[in-house]
Amino acid sequence: MTYAARFFEAAELAERGIDNLPDELVSNRHLIYSSPATLAFNSPGAEGFGVKRAGLAIPGSVMLLVAPGCCGRNTSLVSDMPAYRDRFFYLNMDETDIVTGRHLRKIPKAVEEVVGCLKTRPSLVMICITCVDALLGTDMERVCRRAEERVGLPVRPCYMYALTREGRRPPMVHVRQSLYSLLDARPKRASSVNVLGFFAPLVDDCELYDYLRGIGVKAIREVSRCADFDEFQHMAEANFNLVLHPEARFAAADLQERLAIPSIELTRLYQLDRIRRQYQALGQVLGVTFDDEVDYAAAEAAIESFRDLMPAASFAVGECLNADPFELAVALTRYGFGVREVFGTIQSENFVFVRRLAELSPHTRVYSNMEPTMIHYDAHDCPVRIALGKDACWYHPEAIGLAWNSDVQPYGYAGVCRLFEALAAAVSQGEIADATDPTRDQEDGRADA
Amino acid sequence: MRGLRKYLTPFAPDQSGAVSVLFELGGIVVICDAGGCTGNICGFDEPRWRTQRSAVFSAGLRDMDAILGRDDKLVDELADAASKIDANFAAIVGTPVPSVIGTDYRALRRMSERRASLPTITVDTTGMELYDVGASKAYSAIFDRFATECLPVDSGHVGVLGANPLDLSCIPPASWSLSFDDVVRASAAEKNLVVAPSGLATAKLLRERFGTPYEFLRAEECPQILLLRAPGRPPVAGARVLVVQQQVMANALRDELLAVGAESVTCATWFMLEDELAQPGDVRLREEDDFEELVYGGGFDVLVGDPTLWRIVPRFEGATIDVPQFAVSGSLFSIGGER
Repeated sequence: MTYAARFFEAAELAERGIDNLPDELVSNRHLIYSSPATLAFNSPGAEGFGVKRAGLAIPGSVMLLVAPGCCGRNTSLVSDMPAYRDRFFYLNMDETDIVTGRHLRKIPKAVEEVVGCLKTRPSLVMICITCVDALLGTDMERVCRRAEERVGLPVRPCYMYALTREGRRPPMVHVRQSLYSLLDARPKRASSVNVLGFFAPLVDDCELYDYLRGIGVKAIREVSRCADFDEFQHMAEANFNLVLHPEARFAAADLQERLAIPSIELTRLYQLDRIRRQYQALGQVLGVTFDDEVDYAAAEAAIESFRDLMPAASFAVGECLNADPFELAVALTRYGFGVREVFGTIQSENFVFVRRLAELSPHTRVYSNMEPTMIHYDAHDCPVRIALGKDACWYHPEAIGLAWNSDVQPYGYAGVCRLFEALAAAVSQGEIADATDPTRDQEDGRADA
Repeated sequence: MRGLRKYLTPFAPDQSGAVSVLFELGGIVVICDAGGCTGNICGFDEPRWRTQRSAVFSAGLRDMDAILGRDDKLVDELADAASKIDANFAAIVGTPVPSVIGTDYRALRRMSERRASLPTITVDTTGMELYDVGASKAYSAIFDRFATECLPVDSGHVGVLGANPLDLSCIPPASWSLSFDDVVRASAAEKNLVVAPSGLATAKLLRERFGTPYEFLRAEECPQILLLRAPGRPPVAGARVLVVQQQVMANALRDELLAVGAESVTCATWFMLEDELAQPGDVRLREEDDFEELVYGGGFDVLVGDPTLWRIVPRFEGATIDVPQFAVSGSLFSIGGER
């Protein structure tokens, strides 16, 4: 019998609607294929800024992972990085711990031993617990308070509960709440703004910084740019928070309630007109107008420059990258390129882009990285010139690849510029026999620019 | 403190050992977890994962699946996958979640076989034991189930047990890798070569079932010997040496060290310590403190083991010879290189 990876065309998905997606595209209706993409999206501690790295976003903090040994096994991938050396510690649980809960009594003493063995006193100890304690219903807040009393340092829980990944407060939501719960009330400063959402900074030349400075903001704070715990505490002074990732929504709501810091949520986009509209909307809320002509033109020029290099590029777009894959696919299609495949997870928030993609490129194939038949995926069934996203690169080893998944976050017009500059560099480095893409002829539903 | 790790990351767990054994056998392997365990196994403990496709899946358990014990959902999903993938068998591998909720593996196996029409084994790993325990369970489960036919002995054919990346700290050479056919035809082996303690229980099973004798890896067959023979390594003649490795390999290294004039060699292991393989004075290590006490109190001149261990004993003044142990540090063995 011949097997093949299951896909659905964008048009079919749009017709079905978000409430009637095929089982293959709904992750809790099938086994999860452990493709490279699955690691990043299905395992809270596996890759990128998972719970473990995120939990150590506060400068000078350390983490005690209290869990069965299996949960901490891959941590050396992180702890070998210079920024995380000597910051991870482990209290391995055994079956007796689970039955008796004795590991909870050991935690304050373990925290004391960890703090005692460090040359520099940490600013914070994060206690990371996992699925086992989720099932046991452990009250880790109480345990942390006891540990705090013992060492005289802030001790906070963070929950690497893979079991709750699709719940209301999944691990990456909770870890943000945990971090920002450390902020103590301070007098407000009208010229101070926080950027929430990511654990690494935006690209240095992001126009958002200039726009904020242009309206009198003097301090723009991101947790990743705080040099130490004291500077982090200054985030409590903010006049408002800009929330750039939906997973920071609950943390922002906490800050609104606890410290009376309101928030405004923005989305990362790669469609220039939508970026412009979003800045216009932000300006309306703040009562100002942002002059984005230069930045808009620069982004347009970057796109044009790439188009000159490869006018009929065909893409496979994955989800292991700094973008929503469907929004990015729509953007690429609108810029005149072909998107033959998207490897992505459809959610209610991005279904609007699936609909738009269906209008522009109805035959674009949509795959779920996590679906079991992806084991049969064969790139020869749908060749592309450029694979965008770490997962797409893995599926298309023969294409020009751009992982586009750096820690530093592309955003706004600057993000668009960086993307197309990186694409141009990747194309220049790749072996290009012909700037005209032969697979482009098979493309259907070519974009309106 | 028992269980506290200040220097070392946790070692490869039992579930990784089980998957390592099953990885190349052409089955559908379902890790009964929420996703994190699969991430650890495929993304860290299985070096073949990036170069070979294998039907290793996560059950993708969610909180309500665990709370309500939705085994039927898991079985339905396994049956669905089995209809889309050509597989020799299915294997369900345990993790902490089924361990906590008390999953009935026998019932799960029966349900799976009925629904998926595929022979199924279960491995009741918990994520709290070490890799060799899981590997041993997986070897036993797969051979017990599928090595049933008594075939004529094929003269010169040697079965190899315990040769997986976690035990060997390298990708097994082709002649040592295990296929499903090797399992089914196990009775045809003239003898079995046990290269790690994880293979010992199955070697005994096969001896009992088919009368196949077994022997252990010898020094000249051990890939890591090259590290002891590498130019520039510290002299060992007359030295008191501590070797920290899995037990079969440690014994092979011991034989080599004694052959080149070491005064004495003590073997220690973080993993299984089998009586059949141990010599007086050999040590089973459990905590970082155990290693610290052994090194500082043992009067050794030379330490042989994974280099991450040296962080625990910064005051040790003797020489060290690096022999990476994948199950300890995640570093693969190679001459002059690591992972």
